[in-house]
Amino acid sequence: MEVGMLPISASKRGKLLAAGYTTLDAIARASPTHLARDIDVSDSEASEILSLATKASSALERERPNGTHTAVVGGGQTAWDMLNEEKFSSCITTSCVDLDNILGGGIKCKEVTEIGGVPGIGKTQIGIQLAVNVQIPQEYGGLGGKAIYIDTEGSFMVERVLQIAEACIEDMAEYSHQFHKDFQACDVKVHPNNILENIFYFRVCSYTEQIALINYLDKFIMENKDVKIIIVDSVTFHFRQDFDDMALRTRLLSEMALKLMKLAKKFCLAIVMLNQVTTKYVEGSFQLTLALGNWSHSCTNRIILFWNGNERHAFIDKSPSLKSASAPYSVTTRGIRNSTSSSKRIKMM
Amino acid sequence: MAPLKSLEKEYPLIDSNFQSFCSSHGIFSVEDFLLHDLDALIAFADNHPTSQTLKQGIDQLLSTIDALQPPLLNGLQLLEDAQRNKHVLLTGCERIDALLGGGLREGQLTELVGPSSSGKTQACLLSASTVAKHNSSVIYLDTGNSFSPQRIASFVGQSSGHVFDNQVDHILKKVLDRIICYSVFDVYQMFDVLHQLKSNLRSEIVKSNQHVRLLIVDSISSLITPILGGSGPQGHALMISAGFLLKKLAHENNIAVLVTNHVVGGEDGISKPALGESWKSVPHVRLLFSRDFGSNVCHISVLKHPSMASARAASSTLYL
Repeated sequence: MEVGMLPISASKRGKLLAAGYTTLDAIARASPTHLARDIDVSDSEASEILSLATKASSALERERPNGTHTAVVGGGQTAWDMLNEEKFSSCITTSCVDLDNILGGGIKCKEVTEIGGVPGIGKTQIGIQLAVNVQIPQEYGGLGGKAIYIDTEGSFMVERVLQIAEACIEDMAEYSHQFHKDFQACDVKVHPNNILENIFYFRVCSYTEQIALINYLDKFIMENKDVKIIIVDSVTFHFRQDFDDMALRTRLLSEMALKLMKLAKKFCLAIVMLNQVTTKYVEGSFQLTLALGNWSHSCTNRIILFWNGNERHAFIDKSPSLKSASAPYSVTTRGIRNSTSSSKRIKMM
Repeated sequence: MAPLKSLEKEYPLIDSNFQSFCSSHGIFSVEDFLLHDLDALIAFADNHPTSQTLKQGIDQLLSTIDALQPPLLNGLQLLEDAQRNKHVLLTGCERIDALLGGGLREGQLTELVGPSSSGKTQACLLSASTVAKHNSSVIYLDTGNSFSPQRIASFVGQSSGHVFDNQVDHILKKVLDRIICYSVFDVYQMFDVLHQLKSNLRSEIVKSNQHVRLLIVDSISSLITPILGGSGPQGHALMISAGFLLKKLAHENNIAVLVTNHVVGGEDGISKPALGESWKSVPHVRLLFSRDFGSNVCHISVLKHPSMASARAASSTLYL
């Protein structure tokens, strides 16, 4: 039934069907006053339904313009155009070269990346590092954008952000010293306070707040167009305990995932979701899997952080185009950096 | 079915006189008309002073309804249609083609089920690149920003063999131009795209290199899970009508439809495909994907196939 495909409430749909309006054509032909009288709603609601129906039915009958056109249906992009666009999109570096290498340059925009790991492995550290790195100016190879940090657990420590920001600025200064021997472009004009100013911090304390915030982000980002990364730390925390209705939880989580995907695509930003892990008993061994595992389909890429002996490692678990690989990294006072045991292999730039 | 008065503009025979005659017999909509005893109605019309126009009106209504029905086909016509029009599309992976009995069949809805990162999107991307290489258009509906043109380019490059660099680019552009990707993030958007596609295909002049042969929805379960369950049956109805629309598009336009679905935990921790029992009967072919943790090999088995035995399995390596 075509009426079933209009995004209207169930009660209005029921009233339309009871009054005999089962196709979009039937609704489109009626006048607003007739419609209002037949289904017993106000005139404004009736004209709203009418406009939805006429929009939908005109979309169905839209004539093809004469001449050739590449798309069979409007609104899509050919893969060739997307490939060329990808060449110009930049990544957000993680400040660890090994990690950047397996990620193909860094965290990519227009994609939702989920990072999961045991407590203490450095998820929040990576989140903070990314929130700082997204602000690296374009002259230094960054995006020069702002960050949104959604904190559900209260693990965001401002002093740590300051530490990492200062280290990042020192690195930028050293980089410019090495490459721009002329003294014009030597001074890095960024101050740690600027970096702190460009991180929009939201603290959510319940799942309703989390969902409300994600709904609100669309409007927020329209007003702050240079946001280039959203970090959610951690995305499933409020959904794990005390949820009586499992079916509701599934619906809410999958809808939230779709909204995040839409935000990523619409505003060309990167979304990083940090997640906790649980153990799963599979075929005689315990495996670490991400919390609410059956939900975790709704991310473009997934990275799992784990301990390998004394070293922290990151493993790419899911990606449409990246090879499955793992890389070591370490958490230092300056932030995320290459693992110290392999630092001898890194060439000095 | 529309109320009778809405037909007045297009069919002047259904005028107010006819409508009042019908309402005197309790007929207000086309549905009521179909349910009514037509012989009795015609007999009443005979006794009416304006019997001629009334009977013309009844004939008009009946012929309009008949015109909306699809034509009846017998078995022989269906067989001819299957042999002539419903070709088999190679997916690009021989093992999967063998499991499918040749490949993706046009006119059928094939579902790939599996847990996350088991290779479903890779199979979709591979099929898209293979079909596009063989001079057909592919429509890809992407719900998770997982469409990777880079990956498709690498698939094309892998099987192009030894060609010179500028030729590779030329071939790549032609192939990639045939794959059109739509980002859909809710089920109504998907319906919009599918309806547009349906009406465009109905009226389109077919050009051989623009012929759409493959439609991929990756993944349909992420669109339907947010609306399934809850207070009313609307989610369920939308899911079934989505399946119906996809199968109709497949059959009428000789398109193979490929959708992906994820798994949920069932009883005893055994996972089962998402979207429930009613969706089980919608796809024609169902393949189950699984991948061992940390390995590149994905295992595929047949859950359902209309003409081959199920529970056959194969393994394939995801090359990168």
